[in-house]
Amino acid sequence: MPTDTLGVPEVFRLTQPAKEERLLPEIVERLAAHRAGCPPYRQIMDAIGHGADRRYRRLEELPWLPVRMFKTHALKSIPDAAVFKTLTSSGTTGTPSRIFLDQHAAAAQSRMLSRTMQTVLGPHRLPMLLVDTRAILADRRTFSARGAGVLGMMGFGREHAWALDADGAVEPHTVEAFLHKHGDRPFLIFGFTFMVWLHLYELARDRGWDLSNGVLVHSGGWKKLQDRAVSPAEFRARFTADTGLRRIHNFYGMVEQIGTVFLEGPDGGGLYCPDFADVIIRDPRTWAEQPAGTPGLIELVSTLPTSYPGNVLLTEDLGVVHGVDDGAWPGKRFEVLGRLPRAEARGCSDVYAVPAQGRAAL
Amino acid sequence: MIVRFPATAEGLLPAEDALTVGDPRVVQFLGALSARLLAPSVARAHPELGSLGFFLRRAELARTAAHLRKTDPHTVRRPRGLVFHVPPANVDTVFVYSWALSALAGNRNVVRLSSRSAGAADAVLAALNDALADADPVIARTQRMVSYGRDDVLTAELSAACDLRVLWGGDASVTALRRFPLSPLARDLAFPDRSSFAVLSAPGWLAAPGDVQRAAADGYANDVYWFDQAACSSPRTLYVAGTPADAEKALDGFRRELADAVHRRGWTVDAAMAVEKRIRTYGLAADGRASGVRFTGNELTWLDLTDGAEPPRGWLGTGVVAVARLDGLRDLAPLITPRDQTLSHFGFTGDELRALVTAVPGRGLDRIVPFGQALSFAPVWDGHDLLEEFTTRTTIRV
Repeated sequence: MPTDTLGVPEVFRLTQPAKEERLLPEIVERLAAHRAGCPPYRQIMDAIGHGADRRYRRLEELPWLPVRMFKTHALKSIPDAAVFKTLTSSGTTGTPSRIFLDQHAAAAQSRMLSRTMQTVLGPHRLPMLLVDTRAILADRRTFSARGAGVLGMMGFGREHAWALDADGAVEPHTVEAFLHKHGDRPFLIFGFTFMVWLHLYELARDRGWDLSNGVLVHSGGWKKLQDRAVSPAEFRARFTADTGLRRIHNFYGMVEQIGTVFLEGPDGGGLYCPDFADVIIRDPRTWAEQPAGTPGLIELVSTLPTSYPGNVLLTEDLGVVHGVDDGAWPGKRFEVLGRLPRAEARGCSDVYAVPAQGRAAL
Repeated sequence: MIVRFPATAEGLLPAEDALTVGDPRVVQFLGALSARLLAPSVARAHPELGSLGFFLRRAELARTAAHLRKTDPHTVRRPRGLVFHVPPANVDTVFVYSWALSALAGNRNVVRLSSRSAGAADAVLAALNDALADADPVIARTQRMVSYGRDDVLTAELSAACDLRVLWGGDASVTALRRFPLSPLARDLAFPDRSSFAVLSAPGWLAAPGDVQRAAADGYANDVYWFDQAACSSPRTLYVAGTPADAEKALDGFRRELADAVHRRGWTVDAAMAVEKRIRTYGLAADGRASGVRFTGNELTWLDLTDGAEPPRGWLGTGVVAVARLDGLRDLAPLITPRDQTLSHFGFTGDELRALVTAVPGRGLDRIVPFGQALSFAPVWDGHDLLEEFTTRTTIRV
């Protein structure tokens, strides 16, 4: 694992003051480039009073874009000819987000994602158990955020085994064969939080599987688990007690900031921001930054986006910062609490309800 | 399918009893309903039901009924027969206006309520069922309010059986419902998507006394916030007529007064709506249609429309005022499209407003009302006189 002499992972090293000092000039420079390269972005900024001459002293002063703008508008800061890859995320409803990458941006996001993940996986590809079905990759029509997330993570593993059949039922023999072959050395388990809980945990507990050499990376929110009253803390504790699995890392990210992943630290104390990114929790009434301990809307800040104006995004997720420079890794330690409900209006017309921006794994 | 009114009724279609035009039994029933809607407890919980109760008050209905019954030697007015109403899902009170005028005209009615209806609609249904106790039994026999999910069989049956079908809602709903055939003698009365705006005379505003300005801003706030600015008649763009200097001065004052009015009335916008407004207004800026987007808290968003930009006719969220300047009222005429329904005005004379209507090419502008009355339902709606539509005439030559 690439670390400095203190054994601190390479992309989780900056304390909050050092991070803000480094990020601010970089992002200001990025925003200036987006102004120049993306006329619709420039028009939004000019309209809301963020002209070219405006100066910023703090990250929280930077103008944010609602993340759903990438569903309603094609925002890119590069010429059409330079588009190397267009990422789309679609929830179950509505139009997908469209994120445009040139070769440089695609390489950068992939590199930074690797460095972030290697923090918990180490430098080598590990044998990988996917708590999902191979069918998720087959049907392009339903190739959703889940499919993209699975595909994005597969690169971190080798000798992939799929724990679920096409109907979404667990295939215990597949899992047992995988454990028999790889279970005595470090291996990677990946899946969406609720699927890992529903399909893997109970079976592992009942069949006495030994997952103590595993590293579990999971994402996709707790909503479905809240219905079953499972908190993140209980999720960790029960896995550890009943299967020996200790290395558990939830992560949070979205296609609109592809390559930027907020990762749960080894202490389970919350999600941490990599050195090139930060999180700001805003009061949805005053839009001021909330103090630690007070929930609000999550704003994501990242230096990564260069080909589209996605450096400062207001999500429709609620979260809370639990602490700053006080956990296993430096910087802000935060938790995602759930989704802002949809705006609903009465009116004469057909449908005014709008789907909220879904949270996607990578 | 659930019959919501009369609560004890069974079956989809009402009985064949005959009502008469302006039937006193209906007048009596609507009066009893009005009294229940005007009860302080109801009006407090659902202010819009107060307006509805006022619309249905007995003296007014008696006048309307008398007018309907008025005959001359050559004409007899009669009910159309069975009317099938499909009101909008989201405006909880429209179904009552549509149904009440049709019942007053002597029709048997079936109203299809949205399964999503709640709040005010439930309060109305409770009042309707409660008022039945003192009503002539003919009311319960001839009137039906039902809700059912997506059921093409029921919709087809009602469409085939009715003499008039009344469609409210978005263009897509209207088009979808028109697929169901009517009997050859029947017809459709459709109220599709419409859009509305407001116009302020800058000199008129500047000349108005403070209390008049305050009342106008108060009315405007009502027009904007009452149905989340999503009703067809809620104004979205405010045109200010006057010289650039006058317009700027008038707008400064109007902005202040409107913010005060919103604050006074305690309208609020929740976080989800605040985000929604940002997305839609930023979108107009991205499209080059708005050159300025300014926020007075989450409640009020001010847009400066780009010169010559098409005014936004779609919904932008609750509490968005898009502003554009005109030299004079007459400059509004070329901007009006057939889709445009209500113009709310302040500071103009009747002659100026009539001249504007004459100058509008083709259809467009069905209602011109002062600030504060954009959402007041009237028996003439979208250019249709509902009492005319709900009756038929027999002409007699002796």
